[in-house]
Amino acid sequence: MNLIDLPGDAPVIEPGVTLRSLSEEVSDRVLRPQAPRWWWIGFGISLALFLTLVVATAWLFVNGIGVWGVDIPVAWGFAIAEYVWWIALASGGTIVSALFYLTRSPWRSATNRIAETMMLSAAASAGIMPIMHLGRQGFFYWLFPYPNVMDVWPQVRSPLWWDFICLLCYILMSIMFYYTGLLPDLATVRDQAQHRRKQMFYGILALGWRGSARHWRNYQSVYFIMCAIMAPMVISVHSVVGLDFAGGLTTGWHSTQFPPYFFFGAVISGLALVIMLTIVVRHGYGFQGIITAYHLNAMGKIMLTGSLMLGYSYVWEAWGPIYANSIADRTAFLDTIFGTYAPTYWARVTLNIIIPQLLWLPIVRRSEILLFLISAGIIVGMWLERFDIVIPNLARDWMPSYWGVYYPTLWDWATLAGSIGLFLSLFFLMMRFLPMVSISEVREIIAKGETK
Amino acid sequence: MSERGLFGLTGSFASSDALTEAALHLRSLGFREVEAYTPYPVEGLDEALRPCRPNRLPLPIFLGAVFGAAMGYFIQYWDEALDYPLNVGGRPHNSWPAFMVGSFELMVLFAIAAGFFGLLAFCRLPRLYHPIFSAVEFERASVDRFVLCVEAHDPSFELQSIRRIFERHGAESVTEVSA
Repeated sequence: MNLIDLPGDAPVIEPGVTLRSLSEEVSDRVLRPQAPRWWWIGFGISLALFLTLVVATAWLFVNGIGVWGVDIPVAWGFAIAEYVWWIALASGGTIVSALFYLTRSPWRSATNRIAETMMLSAAASAGIMPIMHLGRQGFFYWLFPYPNVMDVWPQVRSPLWWDFICLLCYILMSIMFYYTGLLPDLATVRDQAQHRRKQMFYGILALGWRGSARHWRNYQSVYFIMCAIMAPMVISVHSVVGLDFAGGLTTGWHSTQFPPYFFFGAVISGLALVIMLTIVVRHGYGFQGIITAYHLNAMGKIMLTGSLMLGYSYVWEAWGPIYANSIADRTAFLDTIFGTYAPTYWARVTLNIIIPQLLWLPIVRRSEILLFLISAGIIVGMWLERFDIVIPNLARDWMPSYWGVYYPTLWDWATLAGSIGLFLSLFFLMMRFLPMVSISEVREIIAKGETK
Repeated sequence: MSERGLFGLTGSFASSDALTEAALHLRSLGFREVEAYTPYPVEGLDEALRPCRPNRLPLPIFLGAVFGAAMGYFIQYWDEALDYPLNVGGRPHNSWPAFMVGSFELMVLFAIAAGFFGLLAFCRLPRLYHPIFSAVEFERASVDRFVLCVEAHDPSFELQSIRRIFERHGAESVTEVSA
């Protein structure tokens, strides 16, 4: 393993990969009659975790949110922290896919499908959290602005309603964006399929895509515009999540830095999860020639950038309360870093800011094991950050008489495990039945390399 | 001159350059109903087949965005100012800065939806069956071959001359596709 950074002209795709081997390999993983053993093990564990969610949700619906540790003063608990955590992971997938399409980064082509699959799976886990958090889940549809006989409308001046509309639009747009990118690859799988039933299944999904010059021209112009819309869109989604907090008069929340702070968190945690899933897909499906050191190196650099941006926000998070003349803000912040919840604060600083600095070294970006471990640390660190934003600030509100401590219950942890199960189950299913690499975009890279 | 029971004549090429040259040649001879099937977008190919055709797809996307923004704002205005006016901290009923997020989200949602459904409409999809699917070369047009098809309803369609043009540009195989 060498100590020098990859040269600028390093191959994005291994030279041995041809147009034919690419199409056959990627389609084969979808069309093979038997899933590999590691898939069954991974899917089995995911499904078991998902069943935990079913049980936890049923218990919650029967007994109400008192089964969780939430109480006054800490009325927002794990569900909200995890909502922010999941939506950040989903947003990270969109950033990889949309933002780096606009910059024409070559490493994006083989990883964007993984990122988009992650985006949809994580958005599902994010979407259930606020609904579970509602005291009376059956009335969640009151958030829709629709004319009704009660003659009551939602309060649209509230960031919480903005957030609802953002999440709803985001999920719908993500599905359309994902499906557009998938169309040409579904057609490839249809053409590669040998069995009648699979040909029909993928034929219907591909909607009759023919790859004609007219199709490609329309596709390219729409896909470019979609990316140009999705990139600012995802920034707006996660900024509005930040506004949920900034709009509240709670100590430590009422800060203008929250929208970019949250977005920086989305960049780093999304990249971390994309890296982990890319490594899994790369080895599980034997895509070493298609997803190379080039991709991991590039994503490691972006993750390092995200870590530095987040570090900047951490500095402001500390500087604001110290500089501002507000005893309550200062008390709440000092309690966050030295009080009951101090371990979570220092753990998140270590996992999100200090350890990722190792990514400056090319040798670390070259090692998949280290990348995987650093990424896993960031995912945990980001969960702790969301916990740290939501809970300690509520526990140290303006009046000392209003202080309290939050203890998660078994059902809080079961919901966390269950949401991970939901995410992984969806991801494993899509990994089995849909092509995990954007075949048509990687073809363009191969074709450019051949003509060079 | 059109042949009965024939959809067209296809030629399969090994490179995108050969395909583009053949397409330009056919175009210069006056063929108009020519379509190319490629595994990835080939730059300039659609312009070679159908020059001077403006790309109209951005227009429905723009209209979708305008409609979405207008509808998003109107729902909030109707809600807060007309149907259920509620005084919150003395803010105006039509507090437009607070309505911007909802308007923006619906704007981009309708823009993407117009793009998605516009793409399907402009590509004439979904259409699960098409005569080109029965061409033997078509299966490889989604792998590593570049297929050109002159459709039989072209006024100057004539099997022998098209076959010669395909072969002159290095077509690997030339086949007749039945309708």
